[in-house]
Amino acid sequence: MATILDPAVVTRKPPPAPHGGIRESVRERLAPYGYIAPFFLLFAVFGLFPLLFTFYVALFDWNPIGERTFVGLDNFTRLVDDPRFWNAVRNTFSIWVLSTVPQLLLALGVAHLLNHARLRASGFFRMSVLVPYITSVGATTIVFGQLIDRDYGMVNWFLELLGLAHIEFTASVWGSHLTIAAMVMWRWTGYNALLYLASLQALPREIYEAAAVDGAGQWRQFRHITVPALRPIIVFTVVNSTIGGLQIFTEALLLSPSAAQTCGAARQCQTLTLFLYEQGFGRYQFGYGSAIGVALFVMVVITALVNFLLVSRSRAER
Amino acid sequence: MTRRRSGHRVPLWVYAVLTVFCAISYFPLYWMFVVATTDSATATRLPPRLVPGDNFLDLAGLVLETVPFVRALVNSFVIATAIGVGQALVCSLAGFAFAKLSFPGRHTLFVIVVLTMTVPLQLAIIPQYMIISRLGWVDTLQGVIVPGFVNAFGIFWMRQHIVATISDELMQAARVDGATTWQVFWRVVFPLVRPGAILLGLFGFVWAWNDFLWPFIVLKSPERYTAQIAIKALQNSRDIDLGLAMSGSFLATLPLLVLFVFVGRRLVGGIMEGAFKG
Amino acid sequence: MKRHVAAVAALVVAASLVAGCSGDSGSDPKTFEFWSFTGINQKADVEVYTKAHPDINVKLTEVGSTTETAQALTAALAGGKVPDLVLIQGDDLPKFMQAPDNFLDLNSRGADKIKGNYLDWVMNQSTTGDGKIIGIPTDVGGLAIAYRTDLFKAAGLPTDRDAVSRLWPTWDDFLEVGKRYVGATGKPFLDNAPTSVYFQAVNQGTQRYYTPERKLDYGNAQVKSAFDLTLKFLAANVTAKQSSFSAGWTAGMDKGEFAVVAAPSWMLGSIRTNAPGTAGKWDVARIPGGSGNWGGSYLAIPKRAKNPTAAWNYINEMQSPNAQLEHFLTSGALPSTPSVYADPKLTSRSEPFFSNAPIGKIYTDSVTGLKPFYIGPDDGPIGTEFLNVLVSVEQGKVPPDKAWSTALANVKNAVEK
Repeated sequence: MATILDPAVVTRKPPPAPHGGIRESVRERLAPYGYIAPFFLLFAVFGLFPLLFTFYVALFDWNPIGERTFVGLDNFTRLVDDPRFWNAVRNTFSIWVLSTVPQLLLALGVAHLLNHARLRASGFFRMSVLVPYITSVGATTIVFGQLIDRDYGMVNWFLELLGLAHIEFTASVWGSHLTIAAMVMWRWTGYNALLYLASLQALPREIYEAAAVDGAGQWRQFRHITVPALRPIIVFTVVNSTIGGLQIFTEALLLSPSAAQTCGAARQCQTLTLFLYEQGFGRYQFGYGSAIGVALFVMVVITALVNFLLVSRSRAER
Repeated sequence: MTRRRSGHRVPLWVYAVLTVFCAISYFPLYWMFVVATTDSATATRLPPRLVPGDNFLDLAGLVLETVPFVRALVNSFVIATAIGVGQALVCSLAGFAFAKLSFPGRHTLFVIVVLTMTVPLQLAIIPQYMIISRLGWVDTLQGVIVPGFVNAFGIFWMRQHIVATISDELMQAARVDGATTWQVFWRVVFPLVRPGAILLGLFGFVWAWNDFLWPFIVLKSPERYTAQIAIKALQNSRDIDLGLAMSGSFLATLPLLVLFVFVGRRLVGGIMEGAFKG
Repeated sequence: MKRHVAAVAALVVAASLVAGCSGDSGSDPKTFEFWSFTGINQKADVEVYTKAHPDINVKLTEVGSTTETAQALTAALAGGKVPDLVLIQGDDLPKFMQAPDNFLDLNSRGADKIKGNYLDWVMNQSTTGDGKIIGIPTDVGGLAIAYRTDLFKAAGLPTDRDAVSRLWPTWDDFLEVGKRYVGATGKPFLDNAPTSVYFQAVNQGTQRYYTPERKLDYGNAQVKSAFDLTLKFLAANVTAKQSSFSAGWTAGMDKGEFAVVAAPSWMLGSIRTNAPGTAGKWDVARIPGGSGNWGGSYLAIPKRAKNPTAAWNYINEMQSPNAQLEHFLTSGALPSTPSVYADPKLTSRSEPFFSNAPIGKIYTDSVTGLKPFYIGPDDGPIGTEFLNVLVSVEQGKVPPDKAWSTALANVKNAVEK
């Protein structure tokens, strides 16, 4: 995101004006708007307007098949007092930390290994790490759910072999969070490793070779060459995974089928988006659901600000 | 561990670690297949049986009996294709305008595009649903397809691609021949950036095939389900067979795995190309 | 190149058109759309009907669970394409009764003439304050206990259904039998407590979550006693802790992991399909604690239905007392029409899967003498909150002594604004 928001990238030398008559020149002048119109039109209808309308709906007690009454800020005061909301905030944050930190570290390591100049079968390895990315979250959750099943799951069989008792992962807070984090990690580590790998490959090989000649081992090369070189792309992936983390939904919905909309009987892994879904489409309280949407928006803005600060700091250091 | 010329000879442990990592990448898919071919009595036995069984057709038959799964695969295909193609077209057009044309407001509008990338529009899902229902698109495939055309990152990506592929000299040369902007786009630019547009379309296809929340909200009747929603229906079916949802998951993943065999290399290339050089 | 682009564009348009067209079944008077939920076997009814009327085309869709069907219906009423006919589960109905204008007043089709056929208290649930009839009841729940005779025998318990029924006139007696079973076999007695105890016991009272005056009152003594009773079962550790309708529950039932499942009449079909290997090993005994009802459903016609006439004709024919009796004979769902309760076909109905238990008699006994309670608009979510806390206790995540206060707080969060 760092690079994207850089205005320098955007501004470029304008191309020469076209020749032709007045009418044609008017048409030519309007043409660019025609090209960007499809996006902006669709975005206005399905993106911007709904976003703004969320703030409006949140001011109502809004039942889609019944009445709607203006309630002012009641939905927000209720939200702030609602332990279920803070629970969802905690869950979302915890799952995000549990999945992002190890995921990005692991991706860094994998990228470093994939970056060996004379790695054989590198094409195969690169494709293999991307396989989870093309697997749907739904299918992933079904498989992981089966693997950690209390009675028949393979993970619990291993625990049994080790002489430990079976664990009902989905029942506990940490167990369900770890399970979802594992799914997120499984799906995205390879993808992020490829992003890092691309940045690494832009580095001249000689740096590594010189370091090797100086006697730096894998670890020191990793620590002192790989990590610093990847700083901007790391910021990008952190932001990306934060936005992704705020949106975690499918994993949570499919993990505990007998209490799907709460991700378990005690809402142990109900994320913010799932809470929004439960209130909006499970209970059909559109107003309260929209208030949750507004809260999510506030968090996105905070994330963006934090990101901005991080980026400007890292730029200042350079 | 320290080797004199680690830049040249790859240590064996690197292969070992990478192999383990790849095995972890493949294992859930393999396990999906194992359970999808095993009858439930075997699937619920410990220790688990690690090799596929011969129950695949039975379970697949049960899947088809429970939800219209073939229809779901067709729906997924229609939706993913339309979204892939639609994104490629919409983003190529807009990417071209932002890359090669000058017009008042270009900078501001492009910043808006970039900003939209940072806001997950999922948070506005309730009003989005209201709009879809106003349009009468609830429970229709176009209710999933048309909003799926919106892809700000795709525009950003296509713009980069066009900047890198099409030189200003080429644009000028085309202009000198008296071509209109539209002709320049269709005859000169698009053919040159088509590989990029196709790649973008492929990512759109994969994304749309796997998308869950929005189709889950829009599509209500089983004949309109996508493969992903069908998986959820299988998981919820009252007549539960442990292998049923796994079998459905496998059937829903298989088309993408086949596609991946053919285009995986290009997807890898695409991700690495789209990366931001440090 | 141009042709290529045109082809691509055509594909997009075509895809959208396919999508659009397939969504429209037209207003053919011979066709109507029917949404049901899974596990209730409306397919059998539809087959009977289309056999008698080969010119009618019923497009039956099993949307999902009862809750999912109600949610899909809400979505449809809010702006989507509505079905012509829809099956609504009893606990979901009150929510729709709050917005009766979304449905056809069935009096306009002559429901007032047939309403006398149905149990009063069931009919009252689908009648608005000003007398509009929104739904016609298809069945009632009726409560009983399904148990495994082979496992009872192995545990040294009686196997004869009357003797078994005599073992547990009250829920406390039922718990004692459970302890005996666990003591003798070391295996769990019951599938779970939240569904098999709480959801049964709370439906045996004279009041559930609302007062007869329709005021919210979920913390009342009757609810608390059902709740405390469930905690006793959890403390005694006699359950397999398998949530009803989960994959583990199904597998456990098939493997004989537990011996007893509380079985409202519609549950029998679920046991049959989920554990086909256990045919003949089950029997059905009376439920402890007296008469009660859980579930039962209604057929309704949305106001925007394209073909309400065909839908009404279907209701009128398939929900007549005789048709409900026939449906009972094939599926086991208990009729909501008391006139057939004494019919020999019903009283002599026995079920081979359940050791030829006279299920007609057992279930009609369980609803006669029932004192109906008012079901309110938030009964569904309130029930879920109570159930969830009990499940959390079962999973060891909520201490039993905090369970009741936790439940009250959770319900308050969920339904009070």
